[in-house]
Parts: sequence; structure tokens; C-alpha cells
Amino acid sequence: MTTRPMITAILATTAFIAPAAVAIAAAGPLQITSSIMVEARSAAADGTTRVTLEKPSRVTPGDKVIFVLSYRNTGAQPLANVVLDNPLPKAIAYRSANPGSPAPEVSVDGKTFGSLASLRVRSPDGSTRAANPNDVTSVRWRLASPIAAGSQGQFAFQAVLK
Amino acid sequence: MNATGVIRTLLAGTAAIVTLGTMTGTASAQVVTPPGPAGTTAGTVITNTALASYTVNGVVQNATSNPVTFMVDLKANLTVAPLGGNTPVTIGETGAVLKYTVTNNTNGIQDFLLTFNQSFIGGLFTGDNFDATNVKIFVDSNNNNQYDPTLDTATYINELGADKSATVFIVADIPSDQAAALASVTLIAQIAEGNTPNAAGAALVSNALTINRDNAIDVVFADNDSGFGDAANNGYGRATLGYEITTRNVDLSIVKSSVVISDPVSGIVLPKAIPGAIVRYCLIVRNATTLTPARNVNLSDLIPANTTYVPGSITVGGISLGTDCVLDGLPLSDAGGTVIPATGITGSFDSTAKQVKVTIPTLTSLLPVAASFRVTIN
Repeated sequence: MTTRPMITAILATTAFIAPAAVAIAAAGPLQITSSIMVEARSAAADGTTRVTLEKPSRVTPGDKVIFVLSYRNTGAQPLANVVLDNPLPKAIAYRSANPGSPAPEVSVDGKTFGSLASLRVRSPDGSTRAANPNDVTSVRWRLASPIAAGSQGQFAFQAVLK
Repeated sequence: MNATGVIRTLLAGTAAIVTLGTMTGTASAQVVTPPGPAGTTAGTVITNTALASYTVNGVVQNATSNPVTFMVDLKANLTVAPLGGNTPVTIGETGAVLKYTVTNNTNGIQDFLLTFNQSFIGGLFTGDNFDATNVKIFVDSNNNNQYDPTLDTATYINELGADKSATVFIVADIPSDQAAALASVTLIAQIAEGNTPNAAGAALVSNALTINRDNAIDVVFADNDSGFGDAANNGYGRATLGYEITTRNVDLSIVKSSVVISDPVSGIVLPKAIPGAIVRYCLIVRNATTLTPARNVNLSDLIPANTTYVPGSITVGGISLGTDCVLDGLPLSDAGGTVIPATGITGSFDSTAKQVKVTIPTLTSLLPVAASFRVTIN
């Protein structure tokens, strides 16, 4: 009698720790993959210019880069309240959502998110001004509906290398 | 009381400074220092990681994406521009200076190799009809935009930081050719590798046609066609200036006067021009054209009839007052060969032609030159 509850407790603890540890190792039910792409333009046979995404080859200041976030629910349960957050690397300036991708909420301080037009930046002298894309430090997407088991999707935004 | 008061004030001051410092620190921490116009330094590795949070059966979970990286490549770019305009020169001038600036628009520290070209004929410099000689290129060592032969000796730009500029001088001689009017000189700068503190780096080579190396800095040329024979994206920049011969003739004037120094009867007291008297002739040459020095001014004067030259009496640089010499200057030997220090004035007496000759290398409007010699009345 005395032994069993202890074992139960240990099992419970293990059961509680295990998913957390797995989540940290990014092997939880939600897998997110970040990739950085650049646009490659090539002339198609019909005379139009075809734009494809490829891995960044030569990237120099002022070049456009596209950040792609892919997600996939590998678990058996639906995942609710999903928030995908991409803090921008320091040398990257946000431009816009990539065509075909929903627009993200943006933040200029990493805490308050909203549309760019709704955000203001505080200057060192205490005054504030409207935020512009260069002020964005983080972007995020909040999914309105749960991700069903096995389903996936992706978001993308355009930025330039400062 | 006083001492305490001072200490209190100091403490208060320190406290105030600390508070200010903290506030400034907080404010600047929010403002990320952006890179200059040249952009993020080549070789910087950009890493992106996305985060996610979600709930499973009401339990909040987190996930982190793979980190994805790329390396910033080198965007090689430069601007070469004239600093000021054409340089007005006179025929025969030596060490005339043209000034240019070279700006490093590359996102890295670079060297710049410097060459020049005089043969370009682009129609922009109509009237270009001669080449300067003894052309040399030097880099301004102390950023004062003034050529200093003792300091400015580097012939390439060493380790110029991103968005920084250097001043470059072209120093050349102007030939003594009366037909000369304009000589244009094109400065050509080429981007070279940096990180060679004591030597000129090798010229950069574009990697545009090689396969991208993910973990190495590729070189991408982004320079404009700066004209004067340049092409875009070749790692070169050019700018052209000219030596312009603006003044051909200077307003030279010469005044001659004479004064009896002594005679055999009265000595130096109220001497008269009687046979045996010594007369000093004074030649004062002036250049009335401001800013344009006259070069190689030759004075020659025949000894008047019925007089005899007093050997060793040529002097130059004496003190003159109006048209008269008040005091003799530095003596010149009759045989020639004496060179007056600093001014370089030379002279001689030709006993066959009975002629006194003085040569003044540079005569500016600021300083007239007086020359004198003495004769004895026969």
C-alpha cells in the first residue's frame, strides 16, 4: 500500500516531465521549421519572368530575403491557441507579408503586437512617432482555429538585409 | 563648513550623473544601432529561430524551430569624386596638385589601389591639349585635405573602413610649353582586399560566376559606371580633374634708379657724379598679377658707357623704398654659381658683353625683388 502510491507519484512526475523535455527538444506534436529564402528570377519559355524561391546564395546589404515558417501537427491531438513568433535577427529589417501569406502582427518592442499602423515608437527624447517597417523587432501569427492532427501550413514574410 | 558643502555638492553631482547615465543606457538599449549606409558587415552570420506556443487539452506547450543561418557577403562599392575644381597653373609650374576623394561604400574594411590616366578624351574636357609630367599619386595622411610632401607619402589607401573617405592628391609638373592650355588627369581607384595592415591588398575579384560558398564571404561588385572609360560592377571608380593654364601673361614692371654713393673729392658726404665717383644702380622688379607667380624672370642690364663695373658688386634682395635701393642685399659672385637660399635667385656679370644678369625663379605679387650693382664713372 505504501509502496504503490510512491511509484504512482514517480510515474506521474515522469509523465509530467517527459512531454516538457520533448517539447524543449522541438520534437513535440507541433514541429516548426524556419527557412530563409531569396527570390530567383529566370526567364520562362513564354517570355515572362518566373520568380522562384531558393536557398540564399549571395546576400549583400539591401537584398530581399524571405523568411518562411512551416508548421505541422505530428501528434494525435488537435493543437489550440497556436502562436508562431519570429523575433527578427538584428541585421534584418521587416518589409511585408509575402504574397499569399496572411499578414503577421508585428511588434516594435517584442511585447505589444498589432498592425504596424497601430504601433508607435518612443524616441530617446520621450516623444513618440508612428512606427515604420524598420522599427519592427518581432512578428507573430495567431491561429484562429486549432490545428487538426496531421495538418500543416506555412507563413512567410519579406525582409531586407540592413 | 565650506569643505563639507563642497563634498555634498560633489556627491550630489555624482549621483545626478549616475542617474543620467542609467537613463541614457536604458534609452539607447531600446534603439538598436543600425549599420551605416554600406550595410551589415560582410562575414556576419544571420541566424533566425522561430518560437511557438500552443495548448494540448488545455496544457500550454512551447516549441522552438531549427536555427537557420546565412552569411552576409561582400558588396564591393566605391565612390571617386573630385574635391574642388580644376587647379589653375602657370607654364613651367612644378608640384601642382589635384584633389580627389575616394569613399568606401563596401560593407567591409578595404584597401584601394590608385592609378591615373591622362589619355582619356571624352569631350567633357574640351581643350585638353597637353599631358602633365612627373605625375605621382599620394594619399592624405592626416585628413587636412592639404598636400604635405613630407607626410603624405602613401601611394595606396590602406584599411579604409565602411562609409569612410580618404583624400587623394595627384601631384604633377606642368611643361614649359606655350601652347599648353588644359591637361585632364583621371584618378582610377580599385577596391582591394583589406586586413593587410602594412601592405596593399590584392585587387578584389568578383565571385559572381562561381558557385556560392555558404561559409565563405563571396565578393559581389555593386559599383556604378563612373564614366571616363569606367564600367559598372568592375570594382573600379574614376573621377577626372584638369590642370588649367589660366594666366599666360603677368604684369611685370621694372624700375631702374641710380644714386651716387661717393666721389673722390667729397667722399660720402653729398657726393657728386664726377669722374671716379661710385654710382649704385638699383633694379626693382614687381609682379602686379595677384595669385599668379612669374617664373624664371631674367633681368639683364648693360653697364652704361663711360663707366666701369665694380667687381663683386651685384646684390639681390636688398631693401628698397619706392624706386630706390636703401640697403644692398645678398652678394652674388660675378662668375655665377651663387644660389641665394630659399628664393633660388642666381646671377653673374658678363665682362665681355658688360652685362649684369639676375635670374629669379619665382616672383610673386607679394614680394618685389631688388637687385643692385655699382659702377665707377670714368
